Amino acid sequence: MTTLAITGFLALSFALFAIAIFGILTRRNFILLLVSLEIGMNAAILNFVYFAALAPANTGSTSGLSGQSIAVVLIGFAATEIAVGLAIVLALNRSKGSINVADSTTLRS
Amino acid sequence: MDLSILFGWAFLVPLLPALAFVIIGIWGQRLGRLEHGGWIAVLLSGAAMVLGVLIAVGEMLSPNSYTDVSYTWFHVSASGPFANGVSFVVGTLVDPISALMLIVVTVVGFLVMLYSVGYMHHDEGLPRYYALLSLFLTAMLGVVLADNLLEFFLFWELVGVCSYFLIGFYWRKPSASSAAKEAFLVTRIGDVMFLLGIFIYFSVYAMTGPNGGWAANGFLFVHGSTSFIPIGASGNSTLLTVAGLMLLGGAAGKSAQFPLDVWLPDAMEGPTTVSALIHAATMVAAGVYLLVVGSIFLGGYTSIVLFAIVAVGGFTTFYAATMAVVNTDIKRVIAYSTISQLGYMVLAVGAGFALVGLYHLFTHAFFKALLFLAAGAIIHTIVTQDLFRMGGLAKKMRYTSIAFLIGALALSGIPPFAGFWSKDDVLASVYSQLGAHPEYWPFFILAFVTVFLTAYYIFRVYFLAFSGERTRDASLPEAHEVPWVMLVPMMVLAGFAVVAGLFVFVPSFGSLFTGVPGLATNVPPSYGPTDLVLSAISVTLAGAGIVLAWVLWGNGRVYELPAGSPAHSIRNLLLARYHVKAAYDWVGMVGMYTVARAADFFDRFVIDGAVKGFERSFRSMSDSMRRIQTGLVSDYAAYVVAGIIAVFVLLLFVAPYLASVFGGG
Amino acid sequence: MSPEELAFLALALIAIVTGTLALLVRELIHTIVWIGVFFVDLAALYFLLLAPFLGVLQLGVYAGAVTILLLFGIMVTRKRIFSRDAATGITTVPVALAVVAFIFLLIALPEFPQGELTVRSYDPSLLSQNLFGPGGPWLLLLGLVMLSALIGAIYLVREGRE
Repeated sequence: MTTLAITGFLALSFALFAIAIFGILTRRNFILLLVSLEIGMNAAILNFVYFAALAPANTGSTSGLSGQSIAVVLIGFAATEIAVGLAIVLALNRSKGSINVADSTTLRS
Repeated sequence: MDLSILFGWAFLVPLLPALAFVIIGIWGQRLGRLEHGGWIAVLLSGAAMVLGVLIAVGEMLSPNSYTDVSYTWFHVSASGPFANGVSFVVGTLVDPISALMLIVVTVVGFLVMLYSVGYMHHDEGLPRYYALLSLFLTAMLGVVLADNLLEFFLFWELVGVCSYFLIGFYWRKPSASSAAKEAFLVTRIGDVMFLLGIFIYFSVYAMTGPNGGWAANGFLFVHGSTSFIPIGASGNSTLLTVAGLMLLGGAAGKSAQFPLDVWLPDAMEGPTTVSALIHAATMVAAGVYLLVVGSIFLGGYTSIVLFAIVAVGGFTTFYAATMAVVNTDIKRVIAYSTISQLGYMVLAVGAGFALVGLYHLFTHAFFKALLFLAAGAIIHTIVTQDLFRMGGLAKKMRYTSIAFLIGALALSGIPPFAGFWSKDDVLASVYSQLGAHPEYWPFFILAFVTVFLTAYYIFRVYFLAFSGERTRDASLPEAHEVPWVMLVPMMVLAGFAVVAGLFVFVPSFGSLFTGVPGLATNVPPSYGPTDLVLSAISVTLAGAGIVLAWVLWGNGRVYELPAGSPAHSIRNLLLARYHVKAAYDWVGMVGMYTVARAADFFDRFVIDGAVKGFERSFRSMSDSMRRIQTGLVSDYAAYVVAGIIAVFVLLLFVAPYLASVFGGG
Repeated sequence: MSPEELAFLALALIAIVTGTLALLVRELIHTIVWIGVFFVDLAALYFLLLAPFLGVLQLGVYAGAVTILLLFGIMVTRKRIFSRDAATGITTVPVALAVVAFIFLLIALPEFPQGELTVRSYDPSLLSQNLFGPGGPWLLLLGLVMLSALIGAIYLVREGRE
């Protein structure tokens, strides 16, 4: 049983989240966008794990583990998101012939 | 035979031409065989003439009777200062002056209508012409027979509208349509003044008089057999001075008195028949008739107004005659002479002899209509109005030349023609007032000098057109005598021009001019010793004018002013109409145009600028907003991130700061 | 500095570097390689935090499935796997936004719950008890979302659309 300061962990997930934002804002390839999303998602999941470990110790009870169980659910969500994302990639590729989001600007009137 | 039973049917007199107006207005195009309705107009105006003359004769046979037949249109119950309410009535009033006017209007109207059948034969738009001419007659008869001031004003306005349409009859000619507009607008100035005058009279006299006051009785002219507002009621009231001046303004507009005279010469753009009707019986007579009505039924005028009337009339008489001296257009010369003669009538009214003015109106109507119809006959055959292209027409158009000669003699005031009696009566009446009103002297002298000018200019026209061997312009069509439909009216009018002045010596006819108690009258002329001297002088002046005209223009001569003569500048001034029209144009072009420009500037730059600036700011705003919508998902993500950052800023910095400032929890 | 802290620093450094590289390399296939390393690195972090179940899940789902799926995505959209993506400049505004967001997160760090992480081992069966006990609704929700995502994905890639 070891103890670690939470500050560094939070800084790590913030850094990863900033990298994800950078990727989302600059990349034009849809697959890279998905990758950026995954990085950001992971940064968020990490936080749940930290705060699960921050919970007061009461061994034998499951209360300290709810953070981890939410992390499990979130990993599932992330996998789902990748699946839908790839479906969008295929649909885009078929309709536009490219997965560059700069080619898909039909949102503009 | 008692003709007074016809007085109740007087409303039929204006309604008969109105019926012609309706029939021709609706079915005129299908009446080709009836000269496009011309014969219907002749028939119905003839019927109106018969009825009108019978009524006039009935009035002569029962002297000084006032027969008012009125119908209350609607009544406003008592309110405000009108304790007995206000009535609005329509009706007819047969009295001596309306009887006289009935003769003038119906006879001249009928003859002009008959003459039109020949004169207008080749023109287009005849249904319009006859319909409007009939309506014109209706309007004037309405003015004459109106028994209250409001009805008078309504028909007065109708006269103005009809004159507008008829002067602009040849509307394809720009000069004709602009002349029509000019006539309408200039008389409108007078009409507005007249309306203001009506308001003042209404407000002053609303509660006076019998039967609960004037307003409750529908502003009727008479009550029983006396004027509702007694003659001389105006006294020296300042308000009534203003009202009288407004009335003078209205009369000056309709009767083309200085300075509202500019429209009448330009109104020569209309058909000559319309000019004859306007100048003799309808339009311009209405102005003088208004002044007479004001003298008799509206309590007379204050001394200031009387002097103003004298000044306007006397000055206009001379002013218009001078312009007639140099003009080369046959119709315009006669038009100026009309203005000049109207000046005599106004002068007589101003001198206090309203009925003398009416007397001159009566005689003038016949010889002026005659002159116009004769001029129309010339224009009809040789298709020009330029005097210097005419000449020698007496040989080709014998009857027309005789008719014109009779008209010219009557206008010049040569006895025993009609003009002599009435003009001399005007001069004698004014002369009789000179002792009490020395300020009338200059206008009396102007009017006297005008006798000479009148004889000169009308005989200048006569010699230029009729004397000599042949026409000066050989390219003109061959002159020929006009058909009988045009000759008969001229002959009838020529007869009137010879004898109309003498009618007043018939007692029953003369009673029309003596029937108003309390109003000075000098009809028929009394011819005391001074009057005879005045007559001798004026006849001498007229004869001198005729002789001068013969010397300068007679027998085909054309007088040229010597080169370098100072008379050239005077001539140019007269041809330019004393620059009065130019002054009007200047006021319009410079004065009004500046105002309009300022308004335009304000509208264009301030109002439009505000609207456009508003629109432009919205457009640029929406343009910049639109640019945000790139359609690129990364950009939308950037906006989301920026929004989140903004929330961070709010939560971390702004919210604590606000909490510290407002001390909230 | 304890071995755990040392391990954490090393893993954190690797995570940041691989994450950045995954987004910056020009070859799309290299991105897959780096993101795979990134996922494995995070799995190692979970092991360090004594959450072995999550670590295994991370390895299985992310390092395994997601990476392979991304690879498939590249394969079906490109004629050649080794083809360079169009160069994408690192423009100022997005980088600035990312940096600002990071700085704000750091500023907000004191607002988060503070304290020492107490890392203890536990019986993974407890996690499953927790998952199917108090976390039951979450699991149900996940199932529903996955089902609808499945239907949506099938709808999107269905042949003959349009």
